Amino acid sequence: MASRITSGARLCVRASIDKLVCNLSRSRHHSTVAANDMAVGPRSDRLQCYQKQLNRIRSDHQRNHCRRFTTLQDTDTDSLSSIDPYRLLDDDLRDVYTDIRQELELNTNQDELRTIATYYFDGQGKALRPMVAILMAHAINYHMNNNGLDKKQREVAMIAEMIHSASLIHDDVIDQSDFRRGKPSVNALWSHKKVAMAGDYILAVTSMMIARLNHNDVTITLSQIITDLVQGEFMQLGSKETENERFAHYLTKTYRKTASLIANSVKAEAMLAGADDKLVDVTFEYGRNIGLAFQLVDDLLDFVSSKDAMGKPTAADLKLGLATAPVLFACEKYPELNAMIMRRFQEPGDAERAFELVHKSQGLEQTRFLAKKHCLEATRLAGKIAESPYQKSLLVVPDLIVNRMK
Amino acid sequence: MNTAPATIRLLRPSTMLTRNHVAAIVSYRRPYASSAAAVHNSQQKPDWNRAVSEAEKIVGYPTSFLSLRWLLSDEIANVALHLRKLVGSNHPLLKTAKGLLYNGRNNMQAWGLIVLLISKAAGHLNVDEMEEDKAAGVLHSQRALAEVTEMIRTSHLVHNGLVNIYPGLYPEPVILNDMAFGNKIALLSGDYLLSNSCAELASLRNQDLVHLISSALRDLSEAEFVGRRDSQNNPLPSPFEPLNRHFNSKLPLDPLESLDSLGSMPLTPALQDWTRRNVLSAGSLLGKSCQGTLALAGHGVELQKQGFLFGKHLSLAWQAYLDLEPFMSGSPYSLGISFNLTSAPVMFHLEHDPSLFEEIDKGVNSVKDVDYAKIHGIVMKGPGITYTKQLQKEHSQKAMEVLEVFEESDARTALSNIIVAMGGE
Repeated sequence: MASRITSGARLCVRASIDKLVCNLSRSRHHSTVAANDMAVGPRSDRLQCYQKQLNRIRSDHQRNHCRRFTTLQDTDTDSLSSIDPYRLLDDDLRDVYTDIRQELELNTNQDELRTIATYYFDGQGKALRPMVAILMAHAINYHMNNNGLDKKQREVAMIAEMIHSASLIHDDVIDQSDFRRGKPSVNALWSHKKVAMAGDYILAVTSMMIARLNHNDVTITLSQIITDLVQGEFMQLGSKETENERFAHYLTKTYRKTASLIANSVKAEAMLAGADDKLVDVTFEYGRNIGLAFQLVDDLLDFVSSKDAMGKPTAADLKLGLATAPVLFACEKYPELNAMIMRRFQEPGDAERAFELVHKSQGLEQTRFLAKKHCLEATRLAGKIAESPYQKSLLVVPDLIVNRMK
Repeated sequence: MNTAPATIRLLRPSTMLTRNHVAAIVSYRRPYASSAAAVHNSQQKPDWNRAVSEAEKIVGYPTSFLSLRWLLSDEIANVALHLRKLVGSNHPLLKTAKGLLYNGRNNMQAWGLIVLLISKAAGHLNVDEMEEDKAAGVLHSQRALAEVTEMIRTSHLVHNGLVNIYPGLYPEPVILNDMAFGNKIALLSGDYLLSNSCAELASLRNQDLVHLISSALRDLSEAEFVGRRDSQNNPLPSPFEPLNRHFNSKLPLDPLESLDSLGSMPLTPALQDWTRRNVLSAGSLLGKSCQGTLALAGHGVELQKQGFLFGKHLSLAWQAYLDLEPFMSGSPYSLGISFNLTSAPVMFHLEHDPSLFEEIDKGVNSVKDVDYAKIHGIVMKGPGITYTKQLQKEHSQKAMEVLEVFEESDARTALSNIIVAMGGE
């Protein structure tokens, strides 16, 4: 595989790699078609590749909206914003859910376990995590002069989504929520004990997939996600006394519960590509920043979005007793919120009053500002990766995150 | 279900626990060398505790130390604090926690100990000296694996201790709140142990081992879906499936290898059913841990397979022993205390006389609706107990046979003592 080529040998095989570059945006399913393109010279191949990308961008203009994200702004004015990473990765992402379901179905003989374990892999999710992971894999492969997407790199994308779903399933039991992604949540349909076991099952199958990547450091990196998720969940149990502590606590919790998954999965992609430590760090930091931005926006949307758009009730965090960024910012103007935070909005009227105060304060704007700051940092980091359609998409992802409505 | 034999609870306030809130909940059982504990212990199993404490000395230090590290972590301290709020509610998590801490030797810690003993009995080949814990004769990585085994087993018990809350179950909001909170803590505590096992396994940098142990976790979670369940997911015997010697499994790696017979016991549908349940819920983890520890020591595939068989047979012998307990003479179970309806004596009896299903079926909503005194009486008179004793004997013997592939050593003797103490021949 091209991904195994060391720097010393790289010059000799440069030409042959270039010949393969035209396959960049094709999945393994289509690789047989590539035979014709092999005859053309390397330079024109690369041009062809960009040409293809341009065609994709043009066809985007003709579409009314992006498939999964709805953005607040009209994006036609900015050339970057018209890139749709989902479209670029269509071939790589198309079967991700099917393959995950297959993996989970093959590992058990119990039908009910199959049903619960695959329930959230219905293809209705945003697939943000697999998308970012595969995007980074391609971008780093291109940067390293490797070609195509390694099978293992695609598996990391599946693993990221599977860890995410396992944690959602356990969250459903913990939060006692009735709806997720616009349908009844698992704990509303099946017994809590079975749901807990199904979560453990997904984790076990995921760990087996991680082991099959056969890369010691990647296994350690991906296991870190699981540790972080659980520690983040523990942090959510408690709250801190002083305002300063509270914000730091919130940010650490947000990193562990959301950003770690994205950061460590893109890090694993870069490691599999054979990137050096410095480049691996860039990818990790990129993932961490968009992860933090993503959660900040999520916490913001909890206050402004309608139930229909989110697929779950709004102000859900307050009802769970959680103080997120908008509330923590609003505290500066309305100190009476402090007492409510400490009692986890449990007295009658607390949640409603807090909701009102957040809207009266600058809390929502400040939250968006912080999210934008993290997105800017992510964009800056993506600038360190060699230019390619994939790298350009990495520049677009932060905008998608900040401008999303659900 | 885990009906560990009653050992005397040593409520010795621990001097080692510095966190008051942990100590408040957890009166830690055995501070140091455990021989003292062995002397006082239970009348019915005079040899068990001695066998275990002798064995613990052989592998260095009491295996309860394994769990001390996670017991003292911030997260578990946090859990202890929350558990306090649950005291007074009757969430089963309290019972699980108590069982783990007081009867630890009988369910959780014994597993890690067995992994360490088989490690020592097998010795290790060509391993870096830095890796060896010379005094104990096991590798640091093997000790880590023993700890992972215990953590996975514990997390499974804790997750199993969740309550199925459904509309109408707790009309009283205060109680509903307590129960929901207990579930939350149980789920998180189990997840904490699981995430720790993942990290610990990853740090061993052996991907075959990660794969093997993860597949044991898969089997454990699958076990909870086997057969009929009541509203709290307690198992009830289902009508037995016909014999299937060539078990058509779609699993890539299946611990449920088809078995023809067990020593002198012919394979029957009831035996097949019992074996499948218990291999998934116990045999797989102990078997794969024993297999894995031999792999860490550099042993070949053949010996690793023997390790798997040892762990599997030992855990099945142990399960048969636990299944027998309610039916031992003088046991208070005849008075109507509930016991596992899928235990071997009941299953064997059902095969002998399916009319017992009539009583069992009263428990489809809740196993509490079953007349246990009645079932106890019927099973006592039937052939189920004799079959179960034979089942225990056969699995004990199989485990003993595997031990013979190892050279004579103190660790090997300790393992055979444990098998004997369990009541095997």
